[in-house]
Amino acid sequence: MSIINIYMIIIMLLSISSYFYGRNFIKNKTSTSTEKQHSKDTYHGAFISLYLILPSIIFLSLWIVISPNIIDELLTIKIIYIFGQLGIDELKILKSQVIALSNGVLIAGNLSEEVNYISDYYLYIQTVSKKIYIILSCLGSAAAFLYARKKITIRFNARFNVEVIVKSIMILASLIAILTTVGIILSLVVETIRFFEIINIADFLFGLKWSPQIALRADQVANEGLFGAVPLFAGTLMITVIAMVVAVPIGLMTAVYLSEYASNTLRSIAKPALEILAGIPTVVYGFFAALTVAPFLRDKGADIGLTLSSESALAAGLVMGIMIIPLISSLSDDVINAVPQSLREGSAALGSTKSETVKKVILPAALPGIVSAILLAVSRAIGETMIVVMAAGVAANLTANPFESVTAVTVQIVVLLVGDQEFDSAKTLAAFALGFTLFIITLGLNILSIYIIRKYREQYD
Amino acid sequence: MRENGKMKNDYKVKTENITVDYGEKRALHGINLNISSNEVTSLIGPSGCGKSTFIRCINRMNDLIDGCKVNGKILIDNEDINNQNMDVVELRAKVGMVFQKPNPFPKSIFDNVAYGPRIHGTVKNKEELENMVRKSLKRAGLWNEVHDRLDASGLSLSGGQQQRLCIARAIAVNPDILLMDEPCSALDPIATAVIEELINELKERYTIMIVTHSMQQAARLSQKTAYFHLGEMIEFGDTSSIFTNPKHEMTEAYISGKIG
Repeated sequence: MSIINIYMIIIMLLSISSYFYGRNFIKNKTSTSTEKQHSKDTYHGAFISLYLILPSIIFLSLWIVISPNIIDELLTIKIIYIFGQLGIDELKILKSQVIALSNGVLIAGNLSEEVNYISDYYLYIQTVSKKIYIILSCLGSAAAFLYARKKITIRFNARFNVEVIVKSIMILASLIAILTTVGIILSLVVETIRFFEIINIADFLFGLKWSPQIALRADQVANEGLFGAVPLFAGTLMITVIAMVVAVPIGLMTAVYLSEYASNTLRSIAKPALEILAGIPTVVYGFFAALTVAPFLRDKGADIGLTLSSESALAAGLVMGIMIIPLISSLSDDVINAVPQSLREGSAALGSTKSETVKKVILPAALPGIVSAILLAVSRAIGETMIVVMAAGVAANLTANPFESVTAVTVQIVVLLVGDQEFDSAKTLAAFALGFTLFIITLGLNILSIYIIRKYREQYD
Repeated sequence: MRENGKMKNDYKVKTENITVDYGEKRALHGINLNISSNEVTSLIGPSGCGKSTFIRCINRMNDLIDGCKVNGKILIDNEDINNQNMDVVELRAKVGMVFQKPNPFPKSIFDNVAYGPRIHGTVKNKEELENMVRKSLKRAGLWNEVHDRLDASGLSLSGGQQQRLCIARAIAVNPDILLMDEPCSALDPIATAVIEELINELKERYTIMIVTHSMQQAARLSQKTAYFHLGEMIEFGDTSSIFTNPKHEMTEAYISGKIG
């Protein structure tokens, strides 16, 4: 175990015990005084315990971010000091040798004495950096502890102070999620822009041919592949449409049955069962599609004289439809249940049968919610990868025939990024452009569905 | 209005020993109540006394509640409606209902009223349907307020208008009997007065049973009053005699405000 781990465990234990310390501390103070204590004992305990642990955690995150850069810089200086000025590539190789050696991946005997020496130095500065971290955070925590202890008086508003700390922790947590999203989008945007510097944006959006395989040598003729994304989006669209044709009617009817007709007992069994369907990993659906459904369709198709390729849009779409059923049914079920009971009673009191009530009152009232559930399902289908990778194929055919093999955007992203990559080739950057386009589409669908929900929500009290 | 008890068989609705159970809990203990045609009969009593449960038996609305069992005979025009063979769809076309909270469908005013005639196929063409809607809205006293905006959503109306829309919707099916479950409890006094006036007119055509919490309303509107208490019917008789000369001490206590 690393020294940092041990230190963190100790700090946590100290923090827990300081909670009890703080509680007793204030108790003792109050017992000898006539004044009324402001906050409860537990708040004083929490206050002192949070103050103790926070500096260590803050320093830890700073250390994780900063220290590798400093160590790397020191390593570079050391290498240059010993070997003199080097080219970037040589420097890179030396560095990785040093790091591999210090991790025990390479064996010392095979390398020059200088590399061995630098490797020892590397280990040394790492240890020093850990020590510096521990000393700093020890001091920080100790100072914070003493400060908190000094603050604790009978009239001290520990309750409010704990509230402030807890609130800032919450803000920090939500910031992490938001910043990560922003970071992902930014990296997508940057790489997409780089891609469009190489490939014309119109060629990408309207090109009918997708063949990204770049020639191996840079001087080869026609070293740019063809990056027309239309066949990919057409493939995605076809698979999504097939999936929706399967999932929307089945999911919707399931939802109506469960919420309007099923007895409570049946409902209590069927709902969890559907949720299990939602819990199956998509890769399992994928090989189900590729190994069971696709051959089945091909054989049955052959029986009635249809030629299906063994990887077909139909197989992928069908299985994806099955996968999406629970999503549609459980979202629609919620929406249908939200239709006020008074409308059902009103309709029944006029002499409607149940199916008339469903058709004429409940579904129209639930329609906005159902539409938005479907839009969410569409964006799920568009982004789905595993099933299409396994069942739909990789050949970028531009076809309207669902029995043929097609490919989807997500599949091509996988294909482009699997294997050895050169990070600035158009081929790799194309993956970012595809990802970004996909992101824009699903974002649009999600916004649309939220808009629909908002717009029609209040209408049905 | 007919003479009270002129003919024994003239009762529109007769109930014999109705009991209602919600699972283990018995909500009504053997109710015998006879309702005459073209009168307003009001059901009063403290909350939870079973008056709503009782009128929901008349159009079998209790069927919609899981675990609710209704036993006993309910005769409408001398036909027992409380049995398996009864077509509840037909029954509910004959027995309309207006609920406590106005519940117009999220559709246009026109479609709300046209809902019943459409599902029952009682009108042959668009013209008949329009006549039906107009007639029903007129009877519900809503026509003058909405005739120029029949396409507007039923939910855009005020609470009192919504309730009259619900009455028009019920009338459009041509029922004999109208059940009203506290139809004014969600309305302000002015809207209430309008609805009360309407009920007074409607009794010329329909047999009306109304559940109400307001004793003044019962006194103003109804010819007969039944007092319910804890699932039993304590007293039933002419409204005037119930309010001026209650026979049962519990009725008197409720009317004079000692209980409830």
